[in-house]
Amino acid sequence: MAHKLGIVAFMVGVFAFSVPLFAHHGAASFESGKTVTVKGTVTEYVWSNPHVLVKVDAKDDSGNVVRWVLEAWNPVTQAGRGWTKNTFKPGDEVSLDITPAKNEKPVGEIRGRMVINGQEFKQQQ
Amino acid sequence: MSKRLVVSFVAALAAGMFSPLLRAQDAKWNNIPPTRAAYVGKTPSGPAPTRDLTGIWDTVQTLGVSGVLEHPALLPGGRGQEGGREDETGIAKPLPYTPAGLEALKKNKPSGPGVRQVDSVLTNDPAGKCDPLGFPYMFTWEFRTINVVQTPRQVIMLSPFYGNYRVIWTDGRKPPDDPDPRYNGYSVGHWVDDYTFVVETTGMLAKTWLDHAGRPHSEQLQVEETYHRIAADTMEFSMKFTDPVMYTEPFMATNKLPLHLLPPDFDIPELLCSPSEFAEYNNQVASPVLRDSSKK
Repeated sequence: MAHKLGIVAFMVGVFAFSVPLFAHHGAASFESGKTVTVKGTVTEYVWSNPHVLVKVDAKDDSGNVVRWVLEAWNPVTQAGRGWTKNTFKPGDEVSLDITPAKNEKPVGEIRGRMVINGQEFKQQQ
Repeated sequence: MSKRLVVSFVAALAAGMFSPLLRAQDAKWNNIPPTRAAYVGKTPSGPAPTRDLTGIWDTVQTLGVSGVLEHPALLPGGRGQEGGREDETGIAKPLPYTPAGLEALKKNKPSGPGVRQVDSVLTNDPAGKCDPLGFPYMFTWEFRTINVVQTPRQVIMLSPFYGNYRVIWTDGRKPPDDPDPRYNGYSVGHWVDDYTFVVETTGMLAKTWLDHAGRPHSEQLQVEETYHRIAADTMEFSMKFTDPVMYTEPFMATNKLPLHLLPPDFDIPELLCSPSEFAEYNNQVASPVLRDSSKK
């Protein structure tokens, strides 16, 4: 597969997740316990249910652009963490720690450190 | 340290504990409930009003209420963490299924947490199609902030999570003898004392689920809820299921789950299920991440 996780992103570590805050309906498809960092440019930010989505273009080692679709929780939960409809905008340069999909598709859950245009975004708990 | 400094320190500490609440009070709209930390060490306080459930109540959503609380296998966690098998044998506290109950269970494919969790796109959970959750599913899955309104004849519970509401009649009527089933069933309530309100619900559609883990119920399901107001700011919520078709004996779903009273101007944020947004989510996320069944 052209965009293996190790090419477009680098693994920053593996850690054991604590009990999730919520019943995540799609958790079976993701590699909980693994973290990958995606670095790239935001193309779209979708403030919707059941999950807020951030789409990021990131280059692989060959220079090919890969479109990542990254999900957060729902808007209410994200608002509780300090997110708003303006947290991201197209063109933002981001570095996002995510939980990757088990099938290695460029899809993940935003679950960790977030850096937006060089500034770390401190999520509230 | 001066008295003023001590007071300032205590005020700052309290502000930190309740910061989400304070932020909400400042904003007035889309208020976010306090986190669990706000209630650590906090004891129920103030005299409870008599025969009154009015107000905005929160279960502290970070508890992750997602299933039948009396059964630890249903608490939030990853697939397989509980160590059970697909038919739920081997879990910490299996439900008392009848043979019919076990067969019905196997037909339900939940995407919620538990030993039977499937990929999101493979679920047949009514919630996955934005179908009405119905009662009691609206409470057993992420029982979030509710607004309770009381009139001389009804107690009305408004839950902005998936846009649910239910009406509990308190005018002395009896439950219907042979009801046409409906999503929320038929609820009647009465006060057993000045602080304890009991609700009986029957006539719920069998196609709705009991919870997010796909537990089934039949149209013979009877739900008994007890709301016990123990203080001005706290009441306890217990819920018992009786369904002789699916389960060999009654069991408690919640047992004195504390509900906390929020300020009267708390604006509960909406969290609705939009079929078009859900379809887009499935297209963008759930379908691409579908696992190869041979590698699960």
